[in-house]
Amino acid sequence: MTKTLIIDELTRVEGHGGITVIIDGERVKDVKMNIFEGPRFFESIIKTVYYDKVPDIMRRICAICTASHSLASIRAIEHAFNLQVSDQTQILRDLLIHGETIESHALHVFLLALPDYLGYPDALKMASEHFNTVKAALELKKAGNIIHNILSGREVHGMNERVGGFSKLPSERKLENIREEMLKVKRTAELSVEMLAQTEPPLNINSKNIFMALNPGEKYGFIGDEILISDGSAHHINDYLKIVKEHTVNYSTAKISTYKNQPFMVGALARILLNRNKLEGTAKSMFKKYHTLIREVNPLSNNLAQAIELVHSVERAASLVDELLGRGLREERLPSVNIKDARGVGAVEAPRGILYHDYTFDKSGCIVQCNVITPTAQNIANIEKNYREVVEALIHEEDDKIKFNLELISRAYDPCISCSTHVIRVKN
Amino acid sequence: MTETENNLKPRIGVFSLTGCAGDQLMILNLEDTLIELLSKFDIKSFQEASSYSENTNLDIAFVEGSVSTEHDLKTLKNIREKSSLLIAIGDCAVNGCVQAMRNKQTSIAERMIDVYGVEDNIYKTFEPKGVGEYVKVDFEIPGCPIEKEEALNALISLLNGDAPLIPDYPVCVECKLNGYPCVIIEEGKPCLGPIITAGCDARCPGLGLDCVGCRGPIKGETNAKAELEALRKRGYADKYIINRLRFFAGNFDDIQILGVKENSKGDK
Repeated sequence: MTKTLIIDELTRVEGHGGITVIIDGERVKDVKMNIFEGPRFFESIIKTVYYDKVPDIMRRICAICTASHSLASIRAIEHAFNLQVSDQTQILRDLLIHGETIESHALHVFLLALPDYLGYPDALKMASEHFNTVKAALELKKAGNIIHNILSGREVHGMNERVGGFSKLPSERKLENIREEMLKVKRTAELSVEMLAQTEPPLNINSKNIFMALNPGEKYGFIGDEILISDGSAHHINDYLKIVKEHTVNYSTAKISTYKNQPFMVGALARILLNRNKLEGTAKSMFKKYHTLIREVNPLSNNLAQAIELVHSVERAASLVDELLGRGLREERLPSVNIKDARGVGAVEAPRGILYHDYTFDKSGCIVQCNVITPTAQNIANIEKNYREVVEALIHEEDDKIKFNLELISRAYDPCISCSTHVIRVKN
Repeated sequence: MTETENNLKPRIGVFSLTGCAGDQLMILNLEDTLIELLSKFDIKSFQEASSYSENTNLDIAFVEGSVSTEHDLKTLKNIREKSSLLIAIGDCAVNGCVQAMRNKQTSIAERMIDVYGVEDNIYKTFEPKGVGEYVKVDFEIPGCPIEKEEALNALISLLNGDAPLIPDYPVCVECKLNGYPCVIIEEGKPCLGPIITAGCDARCPGLGLDCVGCRGPIKGETNAKAELEALRKRGYADKYIINRLRFFAGNFDDIQILGVKENSKGDK
């Protein structure tokens, strides 16, 4: 007997997607994450645009990881035109990405994922019994937005980070505000780890996963030029097309990615597992305390990994402010750019995992070819693999229980579906 | 809360078509007032924030995102039928936003080839348009994204039975009120402020940047030709200016007619 389970529209995720599972007797015949978010063709519409405003268009791929898109875009342009940026710019960019991570993880961990753990349809209903927790979560989310606002100009689709640096430097007073905010919300970030650790819903899954994350350099962070893979290999981002293979499917406007024909996982869990030795301070001690709950085989661990990153980013943002104030802020003019026909790749760890932007320019500095691969698109094959595993494990259970588990898995990846729908194969 | 109390609250839904979901996110970014604000409404649907959803009649529907697929259109028509007021939030819903920048310039087939490597329109997508192209819209709140204060004020106005107030003058007005030097005249930058709807408090000029037009042109009063002329005089090539004008206004007639295909190269 064949049975089809359908979740029409995933909720508490960003964008439009659903799930179809076809069960034939005791066997899972097919699983699909259907993405029906309309395609926006960013890689096509950006063609002929002069480099200077390319990041301002490309960041609009996504609201929640807008700074990740803008920095990946800016770095691709800088790599194409061999532009070096100052240490001060690099610190400010790090700070901006930590802000985005705080905002995005706070929203996901507390307001989108935690309601599943505590048994509510949403955070507003959860607030009726956990008012202080929801209030504190909003404060934490806001603290991330404050960083975003101060450095980028607004919380969503800011403009201040540019090719070569920042248009307007933040004042010292505003940087001090950031530090004060971080101190205020530190405890809430720690609470996110404790709450997830205490109440994780059971998920019968034992999945063998391949992980990928950027090498952030000396400190645990989100910007880098080297891809680390859990099979022990490391690759320059310029070779990303050899690592991440994509193909188009007709049931989804996002493409499916594989590494050596295998699905793989990007995101907080991948980062924490591959860069665990770089965690510091409270994040390091919390990782030690809860490391048995951070399991390579269970995607729900991605929620906990995000919570530990929240703790890290809050502390790290405060220390980056100290570093900036200690050095003293210097006014810097945006450097002049020598445009040429060239190609550049930029990568950033968006909250959900590695994000690639790849541009080719003509000699007048306009885009002739563009490729973007988003983290959710990379994760889809692994999400589908997990769907299959969980349905197989629960094949004799009620449909509602299976559906709840499918949603649980989906949300653990924190999918950003509007992001994922414009993933291109570079024409050969 | 009692049933009667809930019955007195306006029933609202927040819906999303094709876009980045940034306008819903800006509502969620009202952290200080969010819980109190949302408790004034009976929320029947809010896809990004809640698993709870009820297919029912609404007093007010907020719709973000452009109409880009048959699925979008079907969703939109269903929302319109069930809602007393329909409010377009954000540029995507108001005029199609950045994904409309190549409308009437490149075909969907060309875009499919560029992105998916196939010419067939397998996702049944069409040129992105604002929701007003297909259904009656009662109010429009522009912006990419919407300003959260503007959203808050609109929600409060609606609670009190008033229409939301949206500026009908250009960004230049706010730039002058802030006392910023003119970005075009004094700095020679390709600012679109003269034709773009105000309401951002001239944020970009305040950051030392030229306006890229993210709140969209002022409807019915866009003098795109004059903007083109002003920037030409300052040495910018037509191709560059036309690309700029199209970023957030691919569906505006007077900008579309400037955007002929052979002119679409964008170098300075």
